[in-house]
Amino acid sequence: MTPLLAALPGGWQTLMVPLDVKSNPVMQGITWFATHFIGLFKAGAESFVDLSTGVIPLLLVLITFMNALTTWIGEKRVTRAVQWAGKYAVTRYTIMPMLAAIMLTNPMCYTFGRFLPERYKPAYYDATVSFLHPVTSIFPHANGAELFVWTGVSAGVMKVDGGAYARLAVLYFLVGLIVILMRGLVTQWITTFLIKRGGHTETFKKYDADYAAGRLESAEGAVA
Amino acid sequence: MSEEQNPAVRIDHGSGGWGPGLVVRAHGERNIVLSVTGGDEHPVAKKIAELTGGRVVNAFNAGAPDNQVLCAVINCGGTARSGVYPKKRIPTVNVFNASPGGPLQKYITDDIYVSGVGVDNVQPADPAEAAIGDDSAESAASAPAAPAPAASAATAAAQQPSRQTKEATGFSKFIIKFGGAIGYVITSLLNAGREGVKMILNTVIPFMAYVALIMGIVNYTGLANWIAKSVSPLAGNLWGLLLLGIITALPVLSPFLGPGAAIAQIIGVLMGGQIAAGALPVRYALPTLFAIDGQVGCDFVPVGLGLGEAQSETVDVGVPAVLFARQLTSPLAVVIAYFFSFLV
Repeated sequence: MTPLLAALPGGWQTLMVPLDVKSNPVMQGITWFATHFIGLFKAGAESFVDLSTGVIPLLLVLITFMNALTTWIGEKRVTRAVQWAGKYAVTRYTIMPMLAAIMLTNPMCYTFGRFLPERYKPAYYDATVSFLHPVTSIFPHANGAELFVWTGVSAGVMKVDGGAYARLAVLYFLVGLIVILMRGLVTQWITTFLIKRGGHTETFKKYDADYAAGRLESAEGAVA
Repeated sequence: MSEEQNPAVRIDHGSGGWGPGLVVRAHGERNIVLSVTGGDEHPVAKKIAELTGGRVVNAFNAGAPDNQVLCAVINCGGTARSGVYPKKRIPTVNVFNASPGGPLQKYITDDIYVSGVGVDNVQPADPAEAAIGDDSAESAASAPAAPAPAASAATAAAQQPSRQTKEATGFSKFIIKFGGAIGYVITSLLNAGREGVKMILNTVIPFMAYVALIMGIVNYTGLANWIAKSVSPLAGNLWGLLLLGIITALPVLSPFLGPGAAIAQIIGVLMGGQIAAGALPVRYALPTLFAIDGQVGCDFVPVGLGLGEAQSETVDVGVPAVLFARQLTSPLAVVIAYFFSFLV
């Protein structure tokens, strides 16, 4: 159909546009917009269903088990293990962040830094925060809000090869431990360097002395 | 006021427990620590009674009038018993880990309820601390004067079984212990489930909705293909991943890429899509995970150090130390992951 010229009362002429969907460019535009607008969200809803059925059930069961396990083990026992692990560089940047992440979860895991001398705190932070994504491959409860770094990549792997998914989960966790050890040592080294260069040597010597004194005090307290 | 002479007791939540803790103090007649745990009087109840100068009544052997109960010690998974005493506004000490839940959840508030309590969590309070019921001490002290006969009768009834004639022995003791252990396991699992659902509901699903929306838009508009085409050459070989690792860890960039790991998560989902589509080989997943995560935590250094009770000088030194170290360790992590990726 073509637009018609119609005479209105009073001598005016106007363009009459028939409301035919197929030939009318305005209606075509509206139809196009409506279809694709909804399509956009339909695609979003599909992704949501994919994620919910794929991720949530496994996650919920796993989180429940891990929560129960952390309750059974108890914070006190972990605190003791962490204090031991803090003494040696190798365990300070592997076992200590791992226990902190699994037991205290993000962001409370950083509080275990209080068991360390001041000069090691930046390196401990670096190691711990760097483990908060690898840890989710096996212990998703540790960092519930940031799961998709792991889940996003691994969901793709799962679709291609289920066996590779399991191997990838374990490897991400283990390589994570190696990486945070390396990261902790490098950051510790750079911290020492910056302490010297920034002229903080005396300040940190005093902190070390305070820490040693505090340690003796708490050791006596433990005996009493 | 004579009540002031009664020592106050602070009861904190134990490992995995809930609530900021309670401070209780015996006021006149209100001095019964009600043990509602089955079997013998619970050690936690005994300790509270010992420190407050009150006395323990085993609820399974004798009743106690509500207006004389200082606090109730229970072992419950949080569906029924946890709510009964808070509903009566009686301070409730749960030796299990239940957080508020169940039909009476609205009564289980942190001013009247604490859970996961062990004997070690019961300590003498700071004398300056206000205890529950301090302000109504006068009314509590004067109230029992009127119903004296009833109260004293009840007191007598309550005192009688405290001789502990009903001490469990042999088989029944075993049953009680066994039941207690099963109860503990089931309660902690149930509570773990409740916490898990909370986490999924409060943090995982909202993020999932946001990711799904972005994914929908990116996929539907064809933006995903465009991103894939530009990122795949980068993610498909070691040099590209190294470059990605260096870029994400740039000290000027990393603190802005960090927050909530939002950007890393989106890129993770996009990369996953590429792997699923076969555009990227599976084994590149491992180095990719480290390459897109070079900035992790760079936005949070001062806060994280603060949580570790670091001194201000440590923060001054620590922030640049972490940011500079990251520039070295981020690409190094990619290399390490690349070599391990042959095992995938």
